[in-house]
Amino acid sequence: MTHASVKYERMLSDLRMDLRPQREWGEGRGLFLVIGHFVVGIAAGAWLFALIFDRPAALVAAFALAALGGLAHLGFLGKPDRFWRMSMRARTSWISRGFIGLSLFLAGAALYLAPQYLPGTPWGSESLLADAGYAMALVGMVVLMGYMGFVYTSAKAIPFWNSPLHPALYVAYALRGGVAALFVTALADGGAGELPAVLLPLWGGITVLVALFFMLEIHGALTSGNEAARRSVHDLLAGRVAVYFYGGTLVLGLFVPAYLMYTGLTGPLSAGAMALLGVSSAIGDFFMKYATIRAGVRLPVWTHLTPQRR
Amino acid sequence: MRWGMVIDLKRCIACYGCQLSCKAENGTPPGVFFARLLKHEEGQFPTVRQLFLPVLCNHCEEPPCVEVCPTGASFKTEDGIVDIDPDMCVGCRSCMMACPYGNRYFNDKPQHYFPDGPTPYEERRTARHQTDVVMKCNFCRDRLAVGKEPACVANCPAVARYFGDLDDPNSEVSRLIKDRGGFPLHPELGTKPSVYYLPA
Ligand code: SF4
Ligand code: SF4
Repeated sequence: MTHASVKYERMLSDLRMDLRPQREWGEGRGLFLVIGHFVVGIAAGAWLFALIFDRPAALVAAFALAALGGLAHLGFLGKPDRFWRMSMRARTSWISRGFIGLSLFLAGAALYLAPQYLPGTPWGSESLLADAGYAMALVGMVVLMGYMGFVYTSAKAIPFWNSPLHPALYVAYALRGGVAALFVTALADGGAGELPAVLLPLWGGITVLVALFFMLEIHGALTSGNEAARRSVHDLLAGRVAVYFYGGTLVLGLFVPAYLMYTGLTGPLSAGAMALLGVSSAIGDFFMKYATIRAGVRLPVWTHLTPQRR
Repeated sequence: MRWGMVIDLKRCIACYGCQLSCKAENGTPPGVFFARLLKHEEGQFPTVRQLFLPVLCNHCEEPPCVEVCPTGASFKTEDGIVDIDPDMCVGCRSCMMACPYGNRYFNDKPQHYFPDGPTPYEERRTARHQTDVVMKCNFCRDRLAVGKEPACVANCPAVARYFGDLDDPNSEVSRLIKDRGGFPLHPELGTKPSVYYLPA
């Protein structure tokens, strides 16, 4: 059987299923979308905390990650050469708003960072242009943190993603990713000793928040009475994507960094260990997003709600 | 004016005529079914019954697929038809995630039914579909423009499909919905479908 015919057979069997898994976002080229959402979220969080704690390397990393996220999104699109058209429907579409936010962030961050790092830039770091860039990047950052959750909430076909908590969860991911980015970039920013002591408990606090939002979402899906949402939870915790959830999210993304945090709170932590904490936390976030997206199951067209007789 | 369809589940004989005639009319690639027939079994032996549900795009009055489209490629016409401009589509597939009825398809590669390549028929028919964009039923707008009914309506041998103006209270579709208790799919979602079903 060729790859095309295997895909065709799977498509047909999907169409016959009552509870059909979504495959468009997360499988094949859809993986680029998950990567795009993941790195863009970290970029926004890293920008915020880099400004608050004055970490120049993290600012540069945030810009680079956002650019990478933009490229990943292009890799996902069927027609990447038409990407500019995504700015056309900001009135109703969260994807459109996210695209505008990313464009604002990239342009603003470039205006703000260029005079600091590129000798010969025609405007100075105290100039009006740099200030405008600072403001643009800030607006873009807020949009980037918020829009992704709404993209999923507006996906009416996938009840598991329709939780009103989803946007808050994505903001929390961005914040957790931002702190993690500071841990990693500390290697280039003067070492872990230079990092503010508050960052470790901050990471712990945001992690608790992420876990709380996630558990509330799971509880909501299980008690919603929606069969598709319940199947998604089953797929996530005991089905086809459980391995990513337990291995990636819980072990790599929670237990490893939590152990490192505990070590850091009870004694000194090397720059390498700090970076490892940041990387494992980020890996956990990636798998959390990946598993949640892959666990998406479509609302059945035919349900007991579809009356057959009057 | 709002085009709508009524499908009489009592008359439907599950012959797949709608699915086939739609494929023939629109030349859709493998795995793409603008019109399809769902089968469902209910009960336990010896009181088992098989139910059929022909589905297609509902041309919702409040289409979530149009709302999420970032480019404006998905749009609704003045007569209520939801369609896609393939030249504007970027292939982001958010409309597929927004359609709660699963009636949108991503045409990811040039595809054909037989291993030796496309037949002359397929070459002609599929040439009009762009790849890497989303596609869906448009109530056969080309046929409507020349005064014909959609292919699935015209070719249903059991006369289980009716097509007409839902805004006109005297049209056949409006009367059938009123007299026989027509219902749409998932009314609780607020999408206000323009495809109604008459109970079996
Ligand atoms: S059935 Fe789906 S594709 Fe058709 S208009 Fe409604 S939401 Fe859009
Ligand atoms: S895939 Fe095309 S039609 Fe669908 S939302 Fe994206 S741009 Fe719009």
